[in-house]
Amino acid sequence: MIRVEGLRKSFQTRTGRVQAVDGVSFAAADGQITGLLGPNGAGKTTTLRMLYTLMSPDSGRILVDGLDAANEPTRVRACLGVLPDARGIYKRLTARENIAYFGALQGLDDRLIAERTERLVSALEMRDFIDRRAEGFSQGQRTKTAIARALVHAPRNVLLDEPTNGLDVMTTRSLRNFLLEQRAAGRCVLLSSHIMQEVARLCDRIVVIAHGHVVADGTPDELRESTGCTNLEDAFVKAIGSDEGLFA
Amino acid sequence: MKALWIVLRKELLDAFRDRRMLLVAFVVIPLAIPLVLAGTNALGTRKQTQQLEGPLELPVIGAEHAPNLVAWLQSHNVQVLAAPPDPDAAVRAQEHDVVLRIDEKYGENWRSGRPASVEVIFDSSRPLASGATVSRLGGLLDGYGSTVGTLRLVARGIHPAVANPLQVGTRDVATPEARFDLSQQILPYLLLLLAFIGGLQLAIDATAGERERQSLEPLLATPVARESIISAKILATAVFSLLSIAVTLIAYRLAFAIVPARGMDASFDLGPGGLAQLFLIILPIVLLGATVLTALAAFARSYREAQGYLPLLMFLPMIPSLVLMVAPVRTQLWMLAVPFLGQNQMILRVLRSERISALDWAVSLGASIAVVAVVWWIAARLYHREQLATSS
Repeated sequence: MIRVEGLRKSFQTRTGRVQAVDGVSFAAADGQITGLLGPNGAGKTTTLRMLYTLMSPDSGRILVDGLDAANEPTRVRACLGVLPDARGIYKRLTARENIAYFGALQGLDDRLIAERTERLVSALEMRDFIDRRAEGFSQGQRTKTAIARALVHAPRNVLLDEPTNGLDVMTTRSLRNFLLEQRAAGRCVLLSSHIMQEVARLCDRIVVIAHGHVVADGTPDELRESTGCTNLEDAFVKAIGSDEGLFA
Repeated sequence: MKALWIVLRKELLDAFRDRRMLLVAFVVIPLAIPLVLAGTNALGTRKQTQQLEGPLELPVIGAEHAPNLVAWLQSHNVQVLAAPPDPDAAVRAQEHDVVLRIDEKYGENWRSGRPASVEVIFDSSRPLASGATVSRLGGLLDGYGSTVGTLRLVARGIHPAVANPLQVGTRDVATPEARFDLSQQILPYLLLLLAFIGGLQLAIDATAGERERQSLEPLLATPVARESIISAKILATAVFSLLSIAVTLIAYRLAFAIVPARGMDASFDLGPGGLAQLFLIILPIVLLGATVLTALAAFARSYREAQGYLPLLMFLPMIPSLVLMVAPVRTQLWMLAVPFLGQNQMILRVLRSERISALDWAVSLGASIAVVAVVWWIAARLYHREQLATSS
């Protein structure tokens, strides 16, 4: 369960201050997949980075399973599984070693790591490269490894920043099935994307962000109703005000 | 603490799978350092023997004015050459170390008992290259002068001692190990340099490289404290460079065992005790280097920027050696508290087989560890910056 209230964050750049996130509030419930939809530069990545305490908000509050991220960042990180925008893996380690490293950092013992890795290997279809060194992995193999290491500690909350970025159709399919399994297991899944078809197809609840603001928030049905569009695509375009950067 | 150990283990595993890093740390450096030291030593020894004992090549201007002097010089292992057309230019261009000019009126003055003049042309700005040759020639000329002077006094019935009211004797108290040697000045610098930046590649790779390969952000999203992560990376760097130094010292010792110390200074024949002392002396510098490098890697925006600090880092351990070369001073206790300067003095003491007291050890180690703690604190602050993981 993730609750975000009035989140704000600005950055100092050479050309002046940029308000990246400007009052974002939403909730992501357990047993649901929540999508953060918005064009590039809408503030999705910055919002997620504040969620996993890489950045601290200028104002606003973040609650993860009732824990305040500002006061208990370590405990908050422990109950999150994060696939950040940066998903580099260690090239000189095998996929299995990459996963085991993060399992150990999460405080798991070797037996539990082996068990969890086994489960993730079959769920993410990683069998044929799990014991290869990551040097020369395809983008799909890298992303799968990054997801597996993010979830090896079986977190109750899963954050994924543009999870399908650069993946082929087959890999996207297996990832989608994997996320549905996570939902069925009662996890709180929060993913960001700029691809509306993907969000429309996968998410139970959609939070549309543009220019640092939440411009729409609800189930697909609610979104269609509130914008008066029968087509979800039209609803998104209407909510954001332009169709810029929303098509895959 | 447990997380620190996990990160440390992973960083070392990662490093030991990097063939290029291994090649440099465990093959190139352990081969290069004994070679450089042996090379400078051999060159220095050869040059010295040549300048002091080999035939002294000496262009003489106006040799015909003083045939006796020239014959005497020749009998003292001097090879008299024809004079170059422009002696000043020839010396300045290092074609000759020294040129002797005999005055035209030499014969006339000599016969009438007046001082006959000869001129030694040399370049004082090259003391290392030609100093020994110049002073050798000076000694020969003095010898000739005083021999003839003595004969003249005797011929006049005066005891030669009358002209020598003072007899100066010297006694060198230096132990054989402590004699000045060029490579004795190089060894402390090389050791300190290796200790300080030996872990360069690992340190930059573990922070700036990790960020550039986009694996730092996921790492920082784990519950592990950043202090643990940075400490582990510093320790991994230190362990790696200590291993590299250990291999280098062993290689150096082996090289000594295989090639006997012919022509080499005895001070380089360190026993296991001496090696262990060297190891303990440079331990804080290894930690300091690992911490400084990690802080720089966290501060720099990219791998390349981090590498750009290398020349500056190479200069730091050089400073005390330079200071001591320009202004050699007696070691005082406070010097041992200054990083690099203190270690330099301690290494020299080990090489000179001098005793190091418990107080010296305490001051040197304590002060260095305090400096390491300060730099560690700065590095940890740098690791807490928001830009650290996201600025790539």
